[in-house]
Amino acid sequence: MRASLVGKLVGSSVTRKEDRRLLIGKGSYVADVVVDGMVHAAFLRSPHPHAEIVRIDAVKARRAPGVVAVYTGEEMKAKTNPFVNFAMLAGLYSPVFWPLATGRVRMVGDPVALVIASSRAEAEDALEYIEVEYRLLRSVGTIAKALSPGSEQLWPKNGGNVVYEHTDTFGDVDAVFASAEHVFTERFSSHRQSNQPMETRGCVAEVNPTELVFHSATQSAHSLRWILAIGTSRAGAVDTLKALKANRARLKSFGKGAKEFLTANQDELSKNDNAGMIHQVRRDPSTLRHMSRLFANTLAMDARHLPRVVAGDIGGAFGVKGHPSREDVAVCAAAIDLGRSVKWIEDRVEHLTVGGTARDETITMAMAVDDDGHVLGMRADLVVDQGAYPAIPFGAPLFTRIMKVMMPGTYRPEAFELRTRVVATNKAHYVAYRGPWANETWARERMLDIVARRLGMSSTEIRLRNMYGHDELPVKMITGPTLDIEMSAKATLERAIELADVGAFRNAQTRARESGKLLGIGFATFHEAAPGPPDYADALLPGGGMISSEPIRTVLEADGTVSVFTQQVPHGQSHETTFAQVAADELGVPFDQVTVVFGDTNRTPFGLMGTGGSRGGPMAGGGSMFAARDLRKLIVDQAAGLLEAAVEDVEITDGTIHVAGVPARGISFADVAGSVRREGKAELASSVSYDGGRGGWVQATHVCFVEIDADTGMVSIPRYVVVEDCGDLINPAVVDGQIRGGVAQGVGAVLYEKVAYDADANFQSSTFIDYLIPTAVEIPAVEIHHLQTPSDKPANFRGVGEGGMVGAPAAITNAIEDALAHLGVTVTEQYLPPTRILELMGVIARSAE
Amino acid sequence: MTTNEVGSVSAPVSLTVNGTTVERDVAVRTSLADFLREDLRLTGTHLGCEHGVCGACTVLLDGAAVRSCLMLAVQADGTAITTIEGLAAPDGTLSPLQQSFMDHHGFQCAFCAPGFILTAQTLIDRGVPLSREDLRAEISGNLCRCTGYASILESIEAAITEALGPLADSNGAAK
Amino acid sequence: MKFPGFVYHRPTSLEEAVELLGRLGGEAKVLAGGQSLLPVMALRLGQPEHLIDISRVRELDVLAHDEGVVRVGAMVTHAQVEDAPMIRRYAPLLADAMPWIAHRAVRNRGTVCGSLAHADPAAELPAIALALDASLVARSVRGERIIAASDFFEGFLTTSLAPDELLCEVRFPAVAPGTVTAVNEVCRRHGDYAMVGLAASLRRDSAGSIDDIALALFAIGSTAVRATNAENALRGRALTDDTIAAAVTALREELDPPGDNHASPAYRRHVAGVVLDRTLRRFASDAETISGDAA
Repeated sequence: MRASLVGKLVGSSVTRKEDRRLLIGKGSYVADVVVDGMVHAAFLRSPHPHAEIVRIDAVKARRAPGVVAVYTGEEMKAKTNPFVNFAMLAGLYSPVFWPLATGRVRMVGDPVALVIASSRAEAEDALEYIEVEYRLLRSVGTIAKALSPGSEQLWPKNGGNVVYEHTDTFGDVDAVFASAEHVFTERFSSHRQSNQPMETRGCVAEVNPTELVFHSATQSAHSLRWILAIGTSRAGAVDTLKALKANRARLKSFGKGAKEFLTANQDELSKNDNAGMIHQVRRDPSTLRHMSRLFANTLAMDARHLPRVVAGDIGGAFGVKGHPSREDVAVCAAAIDLGRSVKWIEDRVEHLTVGGTARDETITMAMAVDDDGHVLGMRADLVVDQGAYPAIPFGAPLFTRIMKVMMPGTYRPEAFELRTRVVATNKAHYVAYRGPWANETWARERMLDIVARRLGMSSTEIRLRNMYGHDELPVKMITGPTLDIEMSAKATLERAIELADVGAFRNAQTRARESGKLLGIGFATFHEAAPGPPDYADALLPGGGMISSEPIRTVLEADGTVSVFTQQVPHGQSHETTFAQVAADELGVPFDQVTVVFGDTNRTPFGLMGTGGSRGGPMAGGGSMFAARDLRKLIVDQAAGLLEAAVEDVEITDGTIHVAGVPARGISFADVAGSVRREGKAELASSVSYDGGRGGWVQATHVCFVEIDADTGMVSIPRYVVVEDCGDLINPAVVDGQIRGGVAQGVGAVLYEKVAYDADANFQSSTFIDYLIPTAVEIPAVEIHHLQTPSDKPANFRGVGEGGMVGAPAAITNAIEDALAHLGVTVTEQYLPPTRILELMGVIARSAE
Repeated sequence: MTTNEVGSVSAPVSLTVNGTTVERDVAVRTSLADFLREDLRLTGTHLGCEHGVCGACTVLLDGAAVRSCLMLAVQADGTAITTIEGLAAPDGTLSPLQQSFMDHHGFQCAFCAPGFILTAQTLIDRGVPLSREDLRAEISGNLCRCTGYASILESIEAAITEALGPLADSNGAAK
Repeated sequence: MKFPGFVYHRPTSLEEAVELLGRLGGEAKVLAGGQSLLPVMALRLGQPEHLIDISRVRELDVLAHDEGVVRVGAMVTHAQVEDAPMIRRYAPLLADAMPWIAHRAVRNRGTVCGSLAHADPAAELPAIALALDASLVARSVRGERIIAASDFFEGFLTTSLAPDELLCEVRFPAVAPGTVTAVNEVCRRHGDYAMVGLAASLRRDSAGSIDDIALALFAIGSTAVRATNAENALRGRALTDDTIAAAVTALREELDPPGDNHASPAYRRHVAGVVLDRTLRRFASDAETISGDAA
């Protein structure tokens, strides 16, 4: 619909502000950025999974046409600080590593050298002139190999390839398992997948006389800014000390900022012991030396080199662009070194090879149940393959903390234990990918179906029997967070069961089997912290609440429009539209009068989270509501003076401010802004830091129907139903789009997409002919039904960015097993291409891995 | 262009882009996509894979959809190209197809948008009757990672319906 | 992924094109639609020093039916073939293949001869050429050579074309009355290269006995192949459950397909039989020429 209604924008599918420019080809993506004197970057990348770099000779490359500079790993190392993990978890070893590989390559695609040339084509040409001599090392290509004691070590300082190990226990697990009537155990494995947004990563480091502007497709502009600052501020000790001395003002202001931060987060910080840091420093004492140097370097750095990060339109990300990259730092350092602007646009082969991968995990899960199917205990052993390098600033180890909290779902086991190990292998690094914890849902929901079948129960009955119902709320999950009274997972399941008409389906399934057709149905129910209740962050890890609030600033501009400033960096989620809907409704102004400002660290409030974690709607949407509400008060106060009326008599109707009942004698927002200026007052503005209020959960049940061609193993999805409850919908079309997009990626994950390596970690899926993104033919229509559990929460919005992808793999694999159940098939793998389907059915012999 | 003993590493090209005649010298290894984006600064054409799979770089060449990443600029000599920038009216009024995409929330990040819109435009221009299944197949050479395609299909179906009448119920149309 | 440098030539006559190719030989590649060559170059898997663009060679535009022969010149695109009623009438198997080939935007540029010269074993057209006993017309400064399809495909991306030879035209014998044809394949996604595919052409005499049959498989090895044993199992017989089963068995026995990330050898062998079974059953139940979407 067109956005003409005032005061009724929230809840309607207002057309998007973004589309005006995007539909006519006038968007501004990072590849579109052109600045004066710009030169182009290309990276030489390792063809080997694991090797020592014996020699690099770049002499010929430096002389090649158009080449401006070549940096080898050692040369880049001298100009940068390494990546050091700041979020140390107890039991985590996080290697210190550099923008380019030094000494060793640890994955296919590891950047070995950087060429800067006057065009990307010439830079690519020059890569071929760099001679690298490698001495091959044995490689680690699988979780099994990483766990085996004799395997080659990626990070010798760690002693083994297990870089993180931790066990969390809730309740008396041994007693519950010992006394249970049944214990069922299965080992589930998911394959490596990749976000693969249609736009790859990229940046332009613009060096101009006054500042360093870093144009980037980033989900998190402020965190990128500071990681670039840390990475590129490398300087000698003497120079650093001199600069610190010369710039006492900065030290002072930093000290003040640090003190404020420490005071504000005293409680959270006090929860965190230093076990993580001690563990790290025991293994690699150089960590401390690097940390103190990069800290001093950053404080001392030339202000002209502190990058201003600017994000324009972004062509999707799904998590991968929340991680500042080694390439970002290398390009930025080269630009500073050369005093020239440098552009790097990753190509698709690079993005498939090293852009970021996810979800290569095994989960061995045991469920202790009684004869009636009550789940009494859960015990799981999780191993995550994080690849060669840890993601920046955090990756797999942190995501396992979410898995720990969420794994029991909305069921009520009396005891739960999770053993977690994260291993290093010679594969591309593990990044956040839409619901990075999702395999806890997949394994649990898969396991429930398996248990139900073995007990002779239906898959819906076992869920209904174990799930917390509304009359039991509020209640604490065994892992800590509160399931509040709005938690409606069971309601979504009940509605889904009605919609699915399971009885009719079973009849159809039986008839179909008689004629050789295989039909299946699969349910999956999950809840998701979006943003989670107030006690959620603490359950994740001690001190987790530190970065959980969201800053929003609203300003009445001179022309009477209102700007909403956010640290969020939208990349398809329509924040420009949804935040404006919320703010316009609060202010009583037309939609067109509100502009959302994002992406520029010089203009937006500071925040390290960026867009991610399904936080946009609840946190920044809620923040927009409260910041607009505050601004409205300021506007009304000022207008009351102009209207010579009492504040409580002032109303705003359709963007006109007037005395109650007399809209004809109204004044405009521009009048108010003008009067503020004339009176010499500061502009009217409001800043809030919104903590999410009472927060809450998103919950959904997915129902997938499959049809399997028994001769070819091809799986199709004739029907897919999502019943979900995300509270109030700001813009239903945006919400539905998020859900559908997530389901599509789940379909891709199960049926089409696999980041392929052989057992020795040689990479085998470097093109879109190898890594299969599903098309319009493969993706089913998705029926979406919204529940809205009544709530008195003041901003009852909850995030929907990730849930589609959390629920879909479970629902789809459950449906596939249901279709094959009469053949005695148990599905324990997430990737089910046609070959595997026929293997499971026993039609063909299983191929060697 | 002259073909002599050596051949050419750069060549003059003359073509029409969005109705305007363009004459340039280009390096022969320049793709049509890079020529449009960098030489003509028409950055609405996007590069998603540069190996012909994703369809983001689709442009119209003499009215037919082609991958501009899989063409050299010199191969476009003498042709008429339409890019995404060429669809809206000069005053910014969206084409009916673009308007339909806006009305139906067709895209999210919209990086794939130029390819889908131009591919869909050829379906309207060709006027071949399509079923919904045909429509899915016709746009299956364009990848979208955000939407799950439903909103894209709705947007195109509405525009086709407006221009040519409703889609056929079943897969009756000739392939 | 920018194209590596090369020297570009755009001859305007066949004579000139052939002369250039004769002179540059192994250092040159012929550029027609570029839909196979340019991705290879973008990935820097191939870096020819010279490209000879034949788009201005008018002699190569021929798309005609002459005296029982369908002629498709080197600059004729898939889309032109797809849209030509003449092809549907005289070379229905070729028409059947078109919807399976990538997507329209690729078919708008890609050429039939280009696909044949590229000789991708997973592509449809080499199998069509084998099934129809096509003739490929090659020209060089040394003269014209006509190569039977059965002698043309030598291996993975390898043909019997000499470095100085230009594939000018492919000639398909026009279909005999009463022939039924189909292209049928199983692929991961719509428009992908096949995991396994079949081009089939079959004619029965008035008694229902098969007197002419061609079964060409693709995506099952380093080249497309004729399934000789399966053909022999059917030739001279009627299509019955038994003969179909015998043909499927014969086919599975004669194939030794490779595995890759999309399908295992066992999958390819099994599904080749499935595709043949389905295709033959469609033929058995449908006297008319059918198009290839039986899967």
